[in-house]
Amino acid sequence: MAGKIKQMIDTIISQRAKDNAMLAGVIKTKLMLKGIDPSKFTPQSPDDPAVIGKLEILMKEL
Amino acid sequence: MNIKTAFSVKPDVQNAVADIKSQLKNFDPTLVVFFASSIFAPEEIAERMESSFPSAETFGCSTAGEIVTGKMLTKSITAMAFNKNAVKDCKVEVIENLNKESYRAFNAFQRHFGQSMKEMDPHKYVGIILIDGLCCKEELIMDKMGDLTNVAFIGGSAGDDLRFENTYVYANGKSFSHAAVMAILEPATEFSFIKTQSFCELPKKLVVTKADEFTREVYEFNGKPAAVAYAEALGVSVEEAKKRFMHNPIGLVFEGEPFVRSPQQIKGDGMVFYCSVKEGMELSLLESTDIIASTKQSLDAAKAEMGSISGVVNFNCILRTLELGQKGLCEDYGKLFSDVPTVGFSTYGEQYIGHINQTATMLVFK
Repeated sequence: MAGKIKQMIDTIISQRAKDNAMLAGVIKTKLMLKGIDPSKFTPQSPDDPAVIGKLEILMKEL
Repeated sequence: MNIKTAFSVKPDVQNAVADIKSQLKNFDPTLVVFFASSIFAPEEIAERMESSFPSAETFGCSTAGEIVTGKMLTKSITAMAFNKNAVKDCKVEVIENLNKESYRAFNAFQRHFGQSMKEMDPHKYVGIILIDGLCCKEELIMDKMGDLTNVAFIGGSAGDDLRFENTYVYANGKSFSHAAVMAILEPATEFSFIKTQSFCELPKKLVVTKADEFTREVYEFNGKPAAVAYAEALGVSVEEAKKRFMHNPIGLVFEGEPFVRSPQQIKGDGMVFYCSVKEGMELSLLESTDIIASTKQSLDAAKAEMGSISGVVNFNCILRTLELGQKGLCEDYGKLFSDVPTVGFSTYGEQYIGHINQTATMLVFK
C-alpha cells in the first residue's frame, strides 16, 4: 500500500491550520521536528508503519 | 507606557528586589516577569518578588546572564512589568513532573480562559515557557504542547551561570527545580516573534543513521561514526573538529530556516548534542556569521512589520553570549535593544515551536 502518510499529513495540516497559511507553516515545522518531513511524502510513498504510528498519535489530539 | 523594565545589580536579594520595586513605583502591574543570576537564593527571590508585587502574577527563572534595555548584565536581577493595558489576562502554571503534567497545566488554562487549548486563537494568546535547563525534557514538553494547541509557546531553559549544577524556575512565590513554568498571556496589543540565529547553511549534509534521541547522542551520520562524519564534512581531523562546535553546529533546515542543534562533546566515536536529533533527520552543516548584524536585521524587520515595539522578551542562547563575550561585543549586543523596553536572559536552550540551540527567540509586543 502507498500514500497513507501523505493523506494523514494533509489531514492534520488542514484540520489544524484551517486555511491559515502561517499556521500551516508552523504545523509543517512541528512535523519536521518530529522527524517527519512533509515534503518527502507523495501519494506514491510506501506506508511506513513507524511514521504512520507517529501521525496516528498526532491525529488523536485533533 | 504600559510595559516597564527594571534591573538591579545589588548583591543581596532583599536590596536588589527593593531596588526593582522602587523603579516600578507608581506602576500597577498585572504581570512581572523576572530573570535572576544564580547568585541569588532561589526560594528567597521567588518569595520576595511575589510579595513586592502582590497584585501581579510573578514568574521567572535563574540565568547564565541577564539582559535588560540596552545592557547585557551578570549577577543581576532584571524584570519586565506589564499593566492591564499591555496584558489583559495571564495564567501561570507549574509542571513539577515533566513526564506527565502537561495535560494538568492545559486543563488549568482551559478552566481559566473558558475555552479549550485546541480552540484558543493563536493571534490572541501567547504562551511563555521557562524550564529547568538541566532536565533534558525540553523536546518532550514542546512536542506535547505543540500537539495540543496552536497557541505558540516561546521561552528559554534556565541557567546557573555555567556551573551546570542546579537551575530554577520561579512562580507563585516559590522556586522549583526539575520543573517548568508555563504562562498563557492575553496581550492587549499585537505581538509577534523573532527567531534569529547567525548561521549560513553549507552544502554538506549529515543524515542521522543511528541515534538515541533521549540522551541527545548521535552514534552515526551517513552510516559512519558521527564524529568521523562531522570531521569529514568540515574537512578536518576529529581532534580539530572538537574546536569547531560553536562555529559549525548543524541544523535541521526547513524552507531556509535553520533549527540549530549544537554539538556538546565527542563521546567515543559518537557526538552528544544540546538538543535531540532523530534517526532519519537530514541535517545541514552550518557556519556562523555576524550575531550583531543578523540580530539587528531581525529587530529592524519586526519594527517595520509592527510599526512600533513596546517591549521585547529575549531568550538568548548562552553560546551566543559566550561568542559575543569572546569577541568583545556584549555591549554592542545590549545597545541593539537600547530604544525598546527589553528583558531577557542567557539561556541553556531556547524554545519556539520546538527546542533549539544557538538562537535568540524573542516575544515582541507592539
